[in-house]
Amino acid sequence: MSGAGAWARRYWALMRNAWLVDFQYRAAIALWLLWGMMEPAIALGIWWGVAGTGDVAGYGRADFARYFFAVMLVNQLTIAWDSWYLDRWIRNGELNFRLARPLNPVHEALADNLAYKARSAGFLIVLWLVVAAVWPPVRLPFDPARWALTAVAVALAAGMRFFISYATGLTAFWTTRATAIMELHAGLSLFLAGRIAPLALLPPAVAGVAGVLWFSSMLAFPVNLLTGAVQSTEALLRGFAGQVVWLAFWFAAYRLAWSRGLRKYGAVGG
Amino acid sequence: MPPAIVADRLSKSFQVKVRDPGLRGAIGALFRPRYREVRAVRDVSFTIQPGEIVAFLGPNGAGKTTTLKMLAGLLYPSAGRVEVAGFDPWTGGAPFKRRLALVLGNRQQLVWDLPAEETFQLNRAIYDIPDADYRERLAELVTLLDLGDVVDKPVRQLSLGERMKCELATALLHRPPILFLDEPTLGLDVTAQDAIRRFLAAYRERHGATILLTSHYMQDVTALASRVLIINRGRLLYDGALDALVARISRTKRVELVLGDGVTQLDLEQFGAVREFRFPNACLDVAREEAAAVSARLLTALPVVDLSIEDPPIEDVIRQAFAEGAEESEA
Repeated sequence: MSGAGAWARRYWALMRNAWLVDFQYRAAIALWLLWGMMEPAIALGIWWGVAGTGDVAGYGRADFARYFFAVMLVNQLTIAWDSWYLDRWIRNGELNFRLARPLNPVHEALADNLAYKARSAGFLIVLWLVVAAVWPPVRLPFDPARWALTAVAVALAAGMRFFISYATGLTAFWTTRATAIMELHAGLSLFLAGRIAPLALLPPAVAGVAGVLWFSSMLAFPVNLLTGAVQSTEALLRGFAGQVVWLAFWFAAYRLAWSRGLRKYGAVGG
Repeated sequence: MPPAIVADRLSKSFQVKVRDPGLRGAIGALFRPRYREVRAVRDVSFTIQPGEIVAFLGPNGAGKTTTLKMLAGLLYPSAGRVEVAGFDPWTGGAPFKRRLALVLGNRQQLVWDLPAEETFQLNRAIYDIPDADYRERLAELVTLLDLGDVVDKPVRQLSLGERMKCELATALLHRPPILFLDEPTLGLDVTAQDAIRRFLAAYRERHGATILLTSHYMQDVTALASRVLIINRGRLLYDGALDALVARISRTKRVELVLGDGVTQLDLEQFGAVREFRFPNACLDVAREEAAAVSARLLTALPVVDLSIEDPPIEDVIRQAFAEGAEESEA
């Protein structure tokens, strides 16, 4: 069998198992999805009230509605929770059998992410279409080229957030606080990635930090691209360049943590 | 034929954080962490030929599992050299891992919520096993391990013995020539232990696999391995045949007797050390080289209904080997 065919079979088998496990935990998956929708829904409720009939820094009620629907979708398509799994694998010895297989464990995590995101995307796009049918503020202009660019930006953001989570999880080779580091990162991203407010509404210094670091690339840029807030070619190129640079940075961080961490590994717990 | 497994002056040390007990100790460790070096494996060397079954014995914390993990490429050695199936486990990558099965008795790769056959399918894809081979090997493993009614049940509903059998099937679908088994019969009942032993012997017979296993159950050792490696406190104390170990360690033979009427414990004490006397049964320890002569004298002097000469139980021999090894390493 060709190399590409073998890899396709491996990824399909891993994703298939992830979906089969999901079927065993239907209620938990539904609650998880609901939880993912709550945060942007609450933020939208607040900004809807704040905006009233006017606007806040150029954002009216309809802009906020589009923004937070886009946040809901993009966040679910880019979120990564691998640091929690890795922390357990490393500290409890569940990494052992994975290391004995001829497959780097990163592929299992990637396939798990793809399975989750495929499922979430199906649900959220249908949800958006249903809501858009009855509630005009969340409708997007018909613009296939913009949607294609957004798909690329979402893929880059998903890759970056995956490697942020994976590389942070690998710090469990050295510390018992890997998940605490990730919690801190999640707290910062609440503001700096644009999860509770568009970055344009943040103080300029804070928005500047978000732009210089990876935070805007991981959520705000693909969201703004989808809603139409990114218009100029310069902003478009700057956004994609930022994504590529930070994706490369976090991929390098993962490679470094993996190669160094394995030498440090204690292979505890059997 | 080159050896299947070579360990050459293999060592592994860990840095372990130590702190004083209580809250003060916890706070102190935050500001001034202290570390202690634990030498889990020290200068261990051995060679295993293809097709051998070797048992790795030692008390808890002796260094067995650490050595096994270095051989499997999970742990990076602090010093020394390892070669398994012609590969350095650390740099062998996928080609090395395809020749290897690692089964850890207290950790499983079966997906807990799904039937075992879903994990089989996953490994079929991971190891890139062709369809025809997969079907043939699965049928063989299902037959040998008697898994017919088991593979389609969720793993969480299986007994411990059934899970271990499925675990072995998962680990062997790619038909590896080298098996590292860490406590494969841990916690299993006698019937399940026996089934696993018979399976391992049959697998080795059919496929010429090399097996290195650790176990605390001496029946695993006596049933499977003709050669043992005894390790304690990280040092290899013995490498050789089980029979030779018994001969070396045990200076006595055990004479089991069924006696006729009128024999007292006092009568027996002139022939050897009386371990047990519960008329009409008795058990004597006699010097190894005198066992035959003492038995002849017993038969002449006393009304003996039945007599047998045996080596002491293997558990006693191993316990003595650990104890002697511990004394040597302290000396």
